[in-house]
Amino acid sequence: MSVAFSVQDLRFKYPSAKEDTLKGISFEVKEGEIFGLLGPSGAGKSTTQKILIKLLEDYKGSVKYFGKDLKDLGKSYYEEIGVGFEVPVHFSKLTALENLKFYSGFYKSKADIRELMERVGLWEYRDKKVGEFSKGMKVRLNFVRALLNKPRVLFLDEVTNGLDPKNARIIKDMIAEYRKDGGTVFLSTHLMNDVEQLCDRIAFCVNGSLVEVSTPRELKLKYGKREVKVEYNENGNLSTAVFSLDGIGENEEFVNLLKSKQIETIHSGETSMEEIFIIVTGVELNERTEAV
Amino acid sequence: MSVLKLFSGEIIRLVKYKILPVGVATTAIWVAILYFLEPREELYLAPMFIFIDVGAMSILLIGASHFLEKQEGTIKSLMVMPVTKREILISKTAASMVLALESAVITAAALYFIHKITLNYALLFLFVIIAGAAHAAIGFVLSLIGRDFTSMLGIMAAYMFIFTIPSIFYSVGLIDEKYKYLMMVSPSHASNELIRAAVSGEYETGLIIAGCVYLILLAAVLFRFAVYPMFKDKAVRG
Repeated sequence: MSVAFSVQDLRFKYPSAKEDTLKGISFEVKEGEIFGLLGPSGAGKSTTQKILIKLLEDYKGSVKYFGKDLKDLGKSYYEEIGVGFEVPVHFSKLTALENLKFYSGFYKSKADIRELMERVGLWEYRDKKVGEFSKGMKVRLNFVRALLNKPRVLFLDEVTNGLDPKNARIIKDMIAEYRKDGGTVFLSTHLMNDVEQLCDRIAFCVNGSLVEVSTPRELKLKYGKREVKVEYNENGNLSTAVFSLDGIGENEEFVNLLKSKQIETIHSGETSMEEIFIIVTGVELNERTEAV
Repeated sequence: MSVLKLFSGEIIRLVKYKILPVGVATTAIWVAILYFLEPREELYLAPMFIFIDVGAMSILLIGASHFLEKQEGTIKSLMVMPVTKREILISKTAASMVLALESAVITAAALYFIHKITLNYALLFLFVIIAGAAHAAIGFVLSLIGRDFTSMLGIMAAYMFIFTIPSIFYSVGLIDEKYKYLMMVSPSHASNELIRAAVSGEYETGLIIAGCVYLILLAAVLFRFAVYPMFKDKAVRG
């Protein structure tokens, strides 16, 4: 598996800022994986993404795209990437189809607009002006816009934010299919459900530095408790017992409990991605605001 | 090729966002006024009407279009397509000139059909393009400096106070003719002089050449050193 992006010691400072927004971050995104970048507001996620999509250029360090220096790549780079912005990016007085046809006209490789719109449930609204779309419809249209050029790498920012569970599921299925077909995804989100369901690897960005780069499973093991919590019914009352996972098969107390009591629930001490986010970043999820 | 696609997209949006129809309606008002004037008065006022469309309407058009696109996030979307920022700016400038040329064409046609007045059309369109390019650059600068459309209008009012009103004073004789070369420093006055020369057919060659060179240089310098870097910065920030 080749490396889609190799980022080494990436540093960036906005002209008006007192200190670096990115303080020397390094990571790799492998081809065919979904890489999630997480972090609180102002951590540098959006700045990192803006550099990778060549909206910001005056950075220090090295960014390589399939072995080529990003700075050496011209506009043809945009033939290979698709960008799904969090905020709507369509002409409100044009219809959905007019918007997509306009954008599609600039690419050599073109996806089937009808197929994509049908998949996200927008085909029947193709002749409606985007200004009359709901937030969820705009989000879905953004996603279709990102796929118009059959991109090799897809950048997605809060891709399911504002979607109902059914439509969020459709989008996540499409992302998973895209990855299965060899596509690479760079996902920036605060929705931990998306992270758990989609990401192969995730990186936590805190105050311009990467503090963890790992798989969701490894992080759950690392930050979770190696224990099992059992809830059982004892004389009509709900009781709880906690056992260490180590040697649990030989733990007589645990085995006896299973044999003798009416078990209500059994939970492993695996932690949630929300808890990991809070532990790693030191920030509550609801404290986050808009990213830099 | 990308420029043509971008330009055609700009024109479609000028129509869909009712900017071009409003421009045509404004010119229609000028035509209605010209209809009631004597030929001598027409030749005096027609250049001023064309100048208003070239010098003021094009700045307003660029400002309106810039802030609409900023609000809709479409500039950011254009920046991640296989087109260069230069191509985006060229297409927007060309689209703004469509309004200026539309005004010149309709006004010239009105002069012909109402009073059979003919002009040096090639010279008029050339001067309109030169003045239009300079004012497109000015329009971009004012839009990129402004925080929103309202603040841009405030900056535009200040610009007109400094550059356009002295030109009007000169036209009505409040400023002495000995300052005619100094007055050409005002992009408004230089544009007005060029358009007036093309419509009336009476001009001082040296003054007209100076006006053309100045406006071309002004457009080039503004695009290279102000519009392009500011556009890059603002587009990224959305």
